[in-house]
Amino acid sequence: MTTGTAPDPALVNAAFEQVWGSMLFTAFEPWPADTVANLGSGVQAQIELRGDWNGRIVLTCDSEVATQIAGAMLGAPAEEVLPDDDVHDAVGEVLNVVGGSVKGALGGVMSLGLPGVSETTNPPSAEDCLIISWHGAPVFVEVVPDAA
Amino acid sequence: MSISTTAFNFVREVVRAESAIVLEPGKEYLVESRLLPLARQANHPDVDAYVAELSTRRNPAALKQVVEALTTNETSWFRDSDPFTALRQSIFPTLAKTRSNREIRVWAAACSSGQEPYSILMTAQDTPELAGWKIDMLATDLSQEMLDKAKAGEYSQLEVNRGLPATTMVRHFERSGLHWRINPALAAQVQFRQLNLVRPFPPMGKFDIVFLRNVLIYFDLATKRDILRRVRQVMAPDGHLFLGAAEMTMGVDDAWERVPAGRSSVYKVREEQPTCAR
Amino acid sequence: MRALIVDDSRAMRRIVGRILVDAGYEVLEAGDGQEAIDVLEAQAELPALACVDWNMPVMDGLTFITEVRKRPEWRSITLMMVTTESEQDRIVRALAAGAHEYLIKPFTGEALMEKLDLLGLLPVPAGDPS
Repeated sequence: MTTGTAPDPALVNAAFEQVWGSMLFTAFEPWPADTVANLGSGVQAQIELRGDWNGRIVLTCDSEVATQIAGAMLGAPAEEVLPDDDVHDAVGEVLNVVGGSVKGALGGVMSLGLPGVSETTNPPSAEDCLIISWHGAPVFVEVVPDAA
Repeated sequence: MSISTTAFNFVREVVRAESAIVLEPGKEYLVESRLLPLARQANHPDVDAYVAELSTRRNPAALKQVVEALTTNETSWFRDSDPFTALRQSIFPTLAKTRSNREIRVWAAACSSGQEPYSILMTAQDTPELAGWKIDMLATDLSQEMLDKAKAGEYSQLEVNRGLPATTMVRHFERSGLHWRINPALAAQVQFRQLNLVRPFPPMGKFDIVFLRNVLIYFDLATKRDILRRVRQVMAPDGHLFLGAAEMTMGVDDAWERVPAGRSSVYKVREEQPTCAR
Repeated sequence: MRALIVDDSRAMRRIVGRILVDAGYEVLEAGDGQEAIDVLEAQAELPALACVDWNMPVMDGLTFITEVRKRPEWRSITLMMVTTESEQDRIVRALAAGAHEYLIKPFTGEALMEKLDLLGLLPVPAGDPS
């Protein structure tokens, strides 16, 4: 049963902002409200929070964006081709760090799962998402409580 | 030529992550001019090539140089560690034997966002000889914005990671959302006040310890000399002045003499003043 | 000097590894606590430092630290948690279990270097052949 409150969007945003700057060396920018955000073939990462609040944080982005995020995180030279495994691992770790920060900020008794990353299975709906701009491409973030 | 947007953005994020200082667009010239010497020193033709290598290698020592070239602020706790070891092991215990009023007066003269005065207080609390003593701490800075932040005592996750031992962190800080707040009792021990070192000091009595680290480097020789002369006038006769690791009074104001204290730059006013010093 | 990085994320092992290599370390890696124990048992020369994530499959970092502290022959290893777990009580638990330091993710390279400095593990002596 969930007794705590869900992480509010401002907190999730702030956790992403911290990771964007310190791990990806990229300025955090929200997606401009007047622009339509489209998603092509994508990568989906999720991490579960368990305890006073139960649910998960889900990140979805284009495969190309995921590759760029992994490259920025690793400081990979432009000519290095990162295998899908490494891209998935890096995006999972980004979400792991965000999840840990959010969990710590919520307080209470909570535990963090291990990140899971796959091809996109549930495309997010833009209305329910925080959207972050990655050099002009959208990164969708959903906070999904467990079904009651 | 000017710095590319990619290079500027990378540098901006490095500086923001390491120091919480934001280089707004328009500061490209600043980045270019401050980093060019570093680029040349590393045998790169220009700043873009230098930053491109930095962004691939991410060598922490090189990134640190970049941050220091672009900021004038203290960002870590117990910065350089040595001065705080000197306080705990020798300077505080010696003062404990000579101050019958059980009070020590400290001035952190360029306190920035507060890490330094708070580190000094935490060090005093870890000094057994000072149990039950009062530390009268004045912390000043030119920037009101920095003073407000210091007074609030709230630090980001990235800031509390910087040089703060984990045991000290859990002892003196409480988590508050994504931030960490310093124990209010500790914050209440510091008097924060705006002060421009270039102007005459307001009346503030004599200090047993003055921290004036990594700030003289921003002034010309005449101003350095003037500041050191005026600092002498607010020192207790056996008071100690801490400068940055690479700073010295020699050739600037010879009325000071270096005190052996590990690798730290610690100075006392000479007992016999040279005649030219007045 | 050698350092062991225990993290289930290859990306994080690469990031921490690069910083340690730049600081003069030779780096060993393990993807979970059990693998880290196997790595340690196979070493003729123990690492001076282990950087340990908390949440990992098979054996988590807290259990790994507890196991290392049970073995007198491994007492020389300095243990630092490097994890996104960031509640005060987690830090206290890790220190009580025998961690010497604690670095919270996300961190900057400089923060890692400053922690090594606190632990007396910087600078690595020049020309150290190990």
